[in-house]
Amino acid sequence: MKFVFFHLMPYPYLPDDFDENYPSPSLTFPNKYFDRETGNRLYHRYLDELEHAERLGFDGIAVNEHHQTAYGLMPSPNIMAAALARRTSKAQIMVLGNAIGIRGNPLRVAEEIAMLDHLSNGRIVSGFVRGIGWEYFAHSINPTRSRNRFNEAHNLIIKAWTSDEMFQWISPNYEYRYVNLWPRPLQEPHPPIYIPGAGSTETMRFVAERRYTYMSVYAPTQVVRRWFDGYRNAAASLGYEPDPEKIGLSIPVFVADTDEQAHREGREQLMWLFHKGLKQGPELMNPPGYMSPSSMRGVLMAGMKPFPQLSYEDLLSGGYAVVGSPETVTARLRELRDELGFGQLIGLFAIGGLTHEQTVRSMELFSTEVMPALRSDQPATTG
Amino acid sequence: MAHTDEHLDLLGGRVHLLRGGEGPPLLFLHAAGGAGQWHEFHELLAGRFTVYAPDHPGFGGTDEFGEVEDMSDLVYHYLDVMNRLGLDRPHVVGGSFGGWLAAELAVAAPHAVGSLTLLSPAGLRLPEHPIADLFLMTPQQLGAALFHDPAKAAGMFPAEPTIDDILAAYRDMSALARFSWSPFLCNPKLERRLGRIIAPTRVVWPDDDRVVPIAHGHRYAELIAGAELKVVADCGHAMYFERPAEFAAAVTEFLTELTGASR
Repeated sequence: MKFVFFHLMPYPYLPDDFDENYPSPSLTFPNKYFDRETGNRLYHRYLDELEHAERLGFDGIAVNEHHQTAYGLMPSPNIMAAALARRTSKAQIMVLGNAIGIRGNPLRVAEEIAMLDHLSNGRIVSGFVRGIGWEYFAHSINPTRSRNRFNEAHNLIIKAWTSDEMFQWISPNYEYRYVNLWPRPLQEPHPPIYIPGAGSTETMRFVAERRYTYMSVYAPTQVVRRWFDGYRNAAASLGYEPDPEKIGLSIPVFVADTDEQAHREGREQLMWLFHKGLKQGPELMNPPGYMSPSSMRGVLMAGMKPFPQLSYEDLLSGGYAVVGSPETVTARLRELRDELGFGQLIGLFAIGGLTHEQTVRSMELFSTEVMPALRSDQPATTG
Repeated sequence: MAHTDEHLDLLGGRVHLLRGGEGPPLLFLHAAGGAGQWHEFHELLAGRFTVYAPDHPGFGGTDEFGEVEDMSDLVYHYLDVMNRLGLDRPHVVGGSFGGWLAAELAVAAPHAVGSLTLLSPAGLRLPEHPIADLFLMTPQQLGAALFHDPAKAAGMFPAEPTIDDILAAYRDMSALARFSWSPFLCNPKLERRLGRIIAPTRVVWPDDDRVVPIAHGHRYAELIAGAELKVVADCGHAMYFERPAEFAAAVTEFLTELTGASR
């Protein structure tokens, strides 16, 4: 089992009237609520936590990209990866991922990841995401072009990393007459690629065909099971069985010394994440054309409740998150592993307004008690 | 009055078309909402004209026409549709998004348009008078923005939409987004091209338009030679849904005055 410490870098200090007066912490939530001094301290605290995760033995430390939101403070994940590259030496640095669907210039992503690969001495993992719906508003990118932009940008970046010859790139959304990447990445043929999926069969097939790592996003276990099965089926139809490490469960985890303490401290923060951080209506999530008709039908048929309608008990029993003592968390993750067959756990430890001390204690208990127990188990088999 | 429901096969797909009435040809270009419906407003116009009401690519019952990517493609598409229907200098009437399209058509092919009636058209970029962001609204907000009378808004959106209702609305909005996400519901070059229009033109605006501010109406009327602006009272942007009789009258009155002069 491979363990990743994934930081979302939330800005948890929302005004008291947030629930009544703001549809979301994203896109239109006024930036006057970003206190400069507080935000400054958060960046350094959060980077300290990422560095600490390496010392604790996590295999990877991960950052992501979001725009115009209190949900996460990383409009440029590559800057965060750069800040980590020369302060760490062992863990993979995972950018999960660059939102290439909304980038005006995807060649720049190829360049930056290649540079990061050198700064980190070959430890970069490159995730690619389309960008959340609201980010198509934020960066004025037409969501009806999202899927094509993602595919074209991906193909361009891979070719730029792997080609030994200068080439011309022409696709409907991008034209480059001279692609000639300096530097080439350190890893050959290129850094490992992670792609999150949320039920799209096109994505499962895309990831399986390229033998990339497929990772989940917030969802109940029964839904994640369908996604992972879909990915495994796509691989099977291509004639192979994916290494469990190529299947990553991303999930919020909070560990404290006892179950009682974990719930007492974690409850409010987990609720912050799902009721405030992830508060976003369909207008923000799925702008027109962002989803194909078949994917949209799938989402509607699945009938998943909006996050703010889920109770704390729903979140825990549904498998949206894991909270408890080291023993409880170990047992729960074993259950999930056996059900889902993942070989990589991408844990979200800095949840809502957890303090630095609470976060570090959770990480330490996880690394000293949960990780060794899970590592000593037999390799996961498909549940 | 009876109307027919038909399909036109074009090179890139099938166009769904409603046709009804008798008299001179009138091409009606629908707004973001209302594709595929023969509405009271159409019925009123059909008393005097042969009304042709096609659904735009990706809307209502018309195929995607994936190669129709932006407004300029849409103009060519409608030149094809007019050609296919044998429409010779029809009266062109368009509402909101369809009004923008009507103006673009009259700019691109001034001699192909017999007259032009623009009902609260989008299409201009007036940074001081932004068009409301329909894409960001909840159904409740959309109803409130579109209608002057909240009671009428309530009737427009089903309280318990089925999955098929949601998917149909999402498809229409996706087509709208394809043509108008960015630049947002406008062609920055349209303003300086409006002088090309030679068709007699009337611009009609509801007095309580919370979506496309009436400043756009003044600008259109100012830049299209001979155009007049008429205002309809107690009405929101969903013009011909909220006040079909008044809007049909505003169109019919204008076209009746023209008859003989332009045809």
